[in-house]
This record gives sequence, structure tokens and C-alpha cells, in this order.
Amino acid sequence: MSCEVLVLYFAKSAELADVRSERICVAQQTTSQQLWQEIVSRHPRLAALRDHVILAVCQEYVSIGDQLLLLQPGDEVAIIPPISGG
Amino acid sequence: MNAVRMNEGTGEGKDMIKVTPEKLSAEEVSQMVISPCCGAVSLFIGTTRNSFEGKNVVRLEYEAYVLMAESEIKKICTEIRQKWPSVKHTAVYHRLGLVPVTEASVILAVSSPHRDESLEAVKYCINALKARVPIWKKEIYGEEEYCWKENKECFWAKQDKDPSLKNCQESSTAFSEMRLE
Repeated sequence: MSCEVLVLYFAKSAELADVRSERICVAQQTTSQQLWQEIVSRHPRLAALRDHVILAVCQEYVSIGDQLLLLQPGDEVAIIPPISGG
Repeated sequence: MNAVRMNEGTGEGKDMIKVTPEKLSAEEVSQMVISPCCGAVSLFIGTTRNSFEGKNVVRLEYEAYVLMAESEIKKICTEIRQKWPSVKHTAVYHRLGLVPVTEASVILAVSSPHRDESLEAVKYCINALKARVPIWKKEIYGEEEYCWKENKECFWAKQDKDPSLKNCQESSTAFSEMRLE
């Protein structure tokens, strides 16, 4: 089963992907690593962020790894490069 | 001596959180946390600097994942109340967009009956904000030279001190700035 999610790109990741947000179809059950790979396959320049990027799914941080996600249609997935607020 | 009962003294504490393109005012933010039951207001103001490692910073731009930034700040405020139950009000304001050098990018205020709690809470708050609130700062050095900064508190940042300009662009392709609705 696949579903459409909204992917948001910020800061360096928005520059590399050259897009701020887009809807993509992904497997509903996926690991965060597979989800990241799917996004990188659409925007290969994002590979430059490897090992120093984290995801947020429905506004909660998710490390890129084996963690299993159960996505729902319309869920928000954000690409979060290292932060620098303050 | 008459004992005066202050309703505000027993009222609920408030967390006032704002991520905004508007200019921040220390006076306004500190006023928000004032309470008759509190003898202390602690304030932290983060301001923008004009140089980084000898480079002249022309301007700074902040962007945020606004809804998540606000929810992460709210979590920090909740933690503050667990750690320092006497804390009365908190206010966390972060500016977005272009911030001219010397102006405030972030202002935090915490009130408590006595000073120790508000002082400690304000320090905890700025450290936690730098570690996990999704906000990004771009330092712009010149025409086409800029750098996305990385807080040392950010656990997924590349921690090596590589002097190469990994996040810096010496001659960038034009990138259109769009605001996420």
C-alpha cells in the first residue's frame, strides 16, 4: 500500500532539492532509511547531507535508520538539516 | 499590615511563544512575564554579530519550520515547569527573515518568585532551543557568499571542524526565496 505525503524542505535541503514542498507517493509502511532513500532518489543532490540530516514526521523528529514508520495520507515529512536557531 | 491576596499569584502560568518576522522588543517580552507574585524576571537576548571567523557578515536570514518550532518550544517550556515548579510565566520569541546586525534574533523571559529558578530556567531554555528547535540561520558575507550555520548543540550536525566551506557557497546559483505557506 502506498500513500501520498507532503515533503517539506528547509534551509540547505531546500537549496539542494530546489523545491520547498512537494507531494510524493511512498510506501505506507517503510523504514525512515527507505523513506530518505526514496527522497534522495528524486533529488540526488540531497545525498550531500548524508549522516547530518534528520527527518520529522508529523512534526516529531525521526532519525534515519531502521525505525518503522506507518504513514497516513497527507502526513507531513520534513527534511531537517542541522539547525542554527538562537 | 493588611494581607493582600493577589489573584495572579495563584493563577495558571502561561507560556507565550512566537516565531515571527517582526522586530523583537525586550521591553515587550519582559513585560509579558511580569507577575505580582514574582520578584524575578530573567531575560536572555540573542543578537546578531557582524563577523564570523574574520569574515564580515553583511546580513543574516532566519527561516523556520514554524509549526514544529512552536511545538518544540512548547515542549521546552513544559520541561522547565517540571524542573522548576515555581516558574510563573515564560515567553520565547524568535525572529525570522532578514535580521540586521545588532538586532535581536531571540528573546526569552522567565518569571519566578525568586531569582535562582528564573536564571537557571532561562539558561536551560536557550540551550535546549539551540539543540532542537527547527530554525536555521544563513550568514551572508557578500554578493554570492553565504553559509548555513550549525549549532554545536545540534546532535545530528557534522561535528568535525572541517575548515572547508561545507555549507558555504562562494558563487551560488540563484535560489529563489519562497515562504512556506
